[in-house]
Amino acid sequence: MPLKPLRALMSFIVSYTFFTNFEAFKRVMTKINSLSSLLVILLFISCTPEHCFEGTESYFKASFYDYATQKEMAPDSVTVYGLQMDTSKIYDRYVRLQPAYFPLNPLTDSLGFAITINGIGDTIMVFYSSYYHFVSKECGFTYYHDLTSDSVKYTTNGIDSIKILKRTIRTTNEENIRIFY
Amino acid sequence: MRRTYGYFTSTLIFLLICLSNMRAQDTIMIPLKIKTGLEVSGPVLNYFDKNTLNVEGYFSVDLNEKFSAVLGGGYLNYKYSQFNYEYFNKGTFIRAGMDMNLLKPKKSQGRYWAGIGMRYGLSMFTSEVPYFTKDNYWGSIASSIPRKRNTGHFVEFTPGVRAELFRNLCIGWTISIRKMISVNSPRNLRPIYMPGYGDGGKSVTTGISYFIVWNIPYKKKQVIIQPEEPEEEDIIEPPPNQEIQNNRQQQYPNNNSGSRTPGSRSDMRY
Repeated sequence: MPLKPLRALMSFIVSYTFFTNFEAFKRVMTKINSLSSLLVILLFISCTPEHCFEGTESYFKASFYDYATQKEMAPDSVTVYGLQMDTSKIYDRYVRLQPAYFPLNPLTDSLGFAITINGIGDTIMVFYSSYYHFVSKECGFTYYHDLTSDSVKYTTNGIDSIKILKRTIRTTNEENIRIFY
Repeated sequence: MRRTYGYFTSTLIFLLICLSNMRAQDTIMIPLKIKTGLEVSGPVLNYFDKNTLNVEGYFSVDLNEKFSAVLGGGYLNYKYSQFNYEYFNKGTFIRAGMDMNLLKPKKSQGRYWAGIGMRYGLSMFTSEVPYFTKDNYWGSIASSIPRKRNTGHFVEFTPGVRAELFRNLCIGWTISIRKMISVNSPRNLRPIYMPGYGDGGKSVTTGISYFIVWNIPYKKKQVIIQPEEPEEEDIIEPPPNQEIQNNRQQQYPNNNSGSRTPGSRSDMRY
């Protein structure tokens, strides 16, 4: 952006002439003259836009557990896609996936995912509400979700059970459900 | 009669002792002023960045040579847009507080100011997000947030300086360090920018303001000033005795302790 160096140069010229021309500053502020000019430039530079480094996607997060041992265990192969979105897979025969991130749609209040764990297919239905959330000036807006009372329904071909841990779905890396298979 | 005479004498002695202990005092006339200042960097920056217009000013009244009561206010029109959203904010703010001049009256002479100020700030604004977009696995979602009125409260700490450029016209700058107290917007939708405060996403913000200030003297105040103590550099202290002895030894290395050197008592003639 050409504004950035121009603004810095202008602030330097203004501050330099201002700080060096007046008796008051000669008397009182001689020691902090250069420091003040530097501070002005830094302030102006710090006002310029920065990049977005924060997480902006609120995923529904699931960890995989072995139902026999009740211990965390990544499946050998996982395939996930949204119902009616079978041409676009979220995970396609992903090896040792842990955890799985399910993207939710803010325009609907329920979603279905087809999930195949180690070759056995199941369906998980998620029920939720959505609302927008301002992340930061650099990142803009995202959506947060809360699981409703119906929460999660699923078939039990390969899945033994699902345990809900956290009902709020945020951009932070917090586990929402545990899938025992 | 004797008792009255004794009382009179003792009072006179006491007064003489007091007078002899008193230091000499000078006075200086400091003009107290009503000031009105206009912030100039806002309109200048608007020339380069049309998306932000910040206009502000203040009135202040000198309560004495040190303290002034300040009431200020301003207007902000802020627009921000990037690839996934657009944001508008328009509003006004007021600030009220005190300024304290840290310069001594003899140095300030009513013309120079270097000090600190404390302010309470109230911001009233309307914000609006005409559109924002979000892309994920399920496609692109476009939405908007309608215009809403908000208020915010903050405190401000403002060190700075001002100097008289022409008669009754000052120019100066202040650095502003602001701390948010509260804002009445939902937690998930805090203002991106707040009039008088700055970035609404930060709990502490900083800024700098350049002011042109017009002064109207309304009263003169006589201020007692004490004569300044001589600075340490001005006092030439005699070197310690040991040092003098060493210097003499260097000048007259053959002399023993009993021999005569210039200035020694035995060298003097009476």
